[in-house]
Amino acid sequence: MKPSPAAVQPRQLGNYICSSCTHRLRRHRRSYATISSSGKPSIYDVVCVGGGPAGLSLLAALRSSPATANLKVALVESQDLSKTRDLSLPPNRFSNRCSSLTPSSVRFLDGIGAWKHVKRERVQGYTEMQVWDGVSGARIEFDWNAEQAAGGEGRPIAFMNENPNLTSGLLKRIDALGGVEIMDGERVENIGFGEESEEVDLSMWPVVELSGGKRLAARLLVGADGANSPVRAFAGIESRGWDYERHGVVATLEMKGSGWGGEEFKTAYQRFLPTGPVAMLPLPGNYSTLVWSTTPALAAHLKTLSPMDFIAMVNAAFRLSPVDLAYMHTQASGQADEFSWRAQHTEFDMQRVPQQVVGVQEGSVASFPLKLRHADTYIGERVALVGDAAHTIHPLAGQGLNQGQGDVESLIKTINYAVTHGQDIGVQMSLEQYNAERYAANNMLLGVCDKLHKLYAIESGPLVGLRSIGLRAVNSLGPLKRFMVSQASDGVKIL
Amino acid sequence: MAAPLRPTSLRNLNLLLRAAPRFVQNQFRAHSTSSVNPEEVSHFNALASTWWDPHGSSRLLHLMNPLRHDFIRGCHASQPRPAPTSNLRYLDIGCGGGIFAESAARLPSTGSVTAIDPSPEVLAVAKGHARRDPGLQGKLTYLNTSIEELPQPKSIEEQYDVLSLFEVIEHITHPADFLDTCAPFVKPGGWIVMSTIARTWASWLTTKVVAEDIARIVPRGTHDWDKYINEEELRGYFLRERGWNSPRVMGVVYIPGLGWKEVAGSERVGNYFFGIRKDEN
Repeated sequence: MKPSPAAVQPRQLGNYICSSCTHRLRRHRRSYATISSSGKPSIYDVVCVGGGPAGLSLLAALRSSPATANLKVALVESQDLSKTRDLSLPPNRFSNRCSSLTPSSVRFLDGIGAWKHVKRERVQGYTEMQVWDGVSGARIEFDWNAEQAAGGEGRPIAFMNENPNLTSGLLKRIDALGGVEIMDGERVENIGFGEESEEVDLSMWPVVELSGGKRLAARLLVGADGANSPVRAFAGIESRGWDYERHGVVATLEMKGSGWGGEEFKTAYQRFLPTGPVAMLPLPGNYSTLVWSTTPALAAHLKTLSPMDFIAMVNAAFRLSPVDLAYMHTQASGQADEFSWRAQHTEFDMQRVPQQVVGVQEGSVASFPLKLRHADTYIGERVALVGDAAHTIHPLAGQGLNQGQGDVESLIKTINYAVTHGQDIGVQMSLEQYNAERYAANNMLLGVCDKLHKLYAIESGPLVGLRSIGLRAVNSLGPLKRFMVSQASDGVKIL
Repeated sequence: MAAPLRPTSLRNLNLLLRAAPRFVQNQFRAHSTSSVNPEEVSHFNALASTWWDPHGSSRLLHLMNPLRHDFIRGCHASQPRPAPTSNLRYLDIGCGGGIFAESAARLPSTGSVTAIDPSPEVLAVAKGHARRDPGLQGKLTYLNTSIEELPQPKSIEEQYDVLSLFEVIEHITHPADFLDTCAPFVKPGGWIVMSTIARTWASWLTTKVVAEDIARIVPRGTHDWDKYINEEELRGYFLRERGWNSPRVMGVVYIPGLGWKEVAGSERVGNYFFGIRKDEN
């Protein structure tokens, strides 16, 4: 969703509207209505702006729960969803937009009947994690199978999945359920308030105006419309945070084999480099997906390299010292030769780093800026924010999409309670539980990932020693590690 | 959910006796045909403007409202034969700003809600607020009247499945008469549900309904343990005699930070819900 932010009328209201403000608001609205009113708006219980994973999950969940299936719901999405619907990539090609889904996200998606529509042969679970400090070499290993042998639970830590595979599965579920009025390929032109007539007073209801001319009045307007959320702007909710001065470089990679543990036991790797963490996450077969957080300059440099040199840089990122890596970044080309020479003189345990990268999928190398953002609140009168509209997190723990699913699960629970108890699902009082449940949890996770990023950005000094002691200590304490892994797969990933 | 009615405790009896003077005093007031206490009406007129303020003085009522539906659901679930799941008719007496009436009208199982209140100011607030939700149109009717002035139903179809008296009974001058007035509005097998802030609902029931009878049946000064059991039996007899059965009670406690929670046994000390079912024949 990328409607022009200028078109959005910021709501000149706090979270709570007193009667005198309401009066002023009505007058304001009336003058506005005479300008652009084009007939009565259609009335909906839920209007969801944004057809990404969070918005689609919300709609699938609303339609699949008996209590909320009677609600009149609409989806507004600026892109044409028919492309999302028919995802048709051959088995040897993968989207570079991948996310790690925690078991709790998968459980939720299964509960709303969407998981069975996701192409499972394109999803890869992993049972082991290797995380290490690129400066000191201190390491923490999470091996579910070893944990299982020691009496723990044997299940994947998380599942790697392409975002288009998820959105396509969710759309199929929504299509199968029916009942969602989908307005795709339509931009949000404006969000204002409704009118007051003899019978009804919609002066406090948000009305979404679409580029096609439709006007939708929403009992509850859900902003699943991404980091630049027009819904959030309408509600006058501030989003605060900072940019990391880092870009995430992504790519789909072909590996020498299907991993040291074969198809059955896949491993996720993450190495903390002073420029940011580099992660290699397993996809089905011999494929993996890369997320390399680095400075914008180095990210730009990586994107200019030939496939062979890019591959060499990725192999180097998991093997060579930060000093060697820095040198290779200064080369305009020739990294392939440089790596094969330097790798001979570097000691590393082959089994504890990813297998060699042998290919990079054409057109899959891309980058995006990393930032931290957190909205002041997730709710307003007749407004709720979910997913990236509410928060943007550093990708180092792969939690962004999972946080969005957690938001949706909580909002659905809140709406369900309101519906079954006759509450108006749009009023803040009904939404309070959602904000209370999610805000603190997300804030904690945002903070943990932010601190981890900052901690590992340090190249020398006492903190390097301390963080290494920390990692080694955690690694040698079985019960603590088990606890951390269970936290990680239940939605709160600490390391 | 709601537990079956518990025996009245000694504490309740004490409260009952302490509360007695007020009721005695009420007996000597000029009898009008209405259950409405004029002082109470003016009190609620003053509250009208803040009724829907989510952070105002009615916040606790707003927070309690979902439990009213839980309680009614519990009443329905306790029936030997299940209650209808659609077209339920509600009569909400003393509806105030309409917190319960609106919520009842939104439930898919509801056919219609008639909500009455004697205060015109409060009712104006209720009507104004209901206009903000187009979904309530055709399901919710507000009437500025007392129960005495409301025309009595002429057929079962005109009677109500649920007659609600939330936070009302403690404002009524003659609760026993009032309940008798309500009875013809309830369908056979329908429910009167109520809640009160009073010390105990039992203090009301025993004072105004049972005590007036008990005073004759049970000699004073014989309130010992054995007699409580007798009293319980008497109450059951009384309910049956007047055509009511299945009394249910649910005690709730407000816990800051958590909200209203059902706490078994708390009906003896705090807020409660109370429901009785009209005999089917």
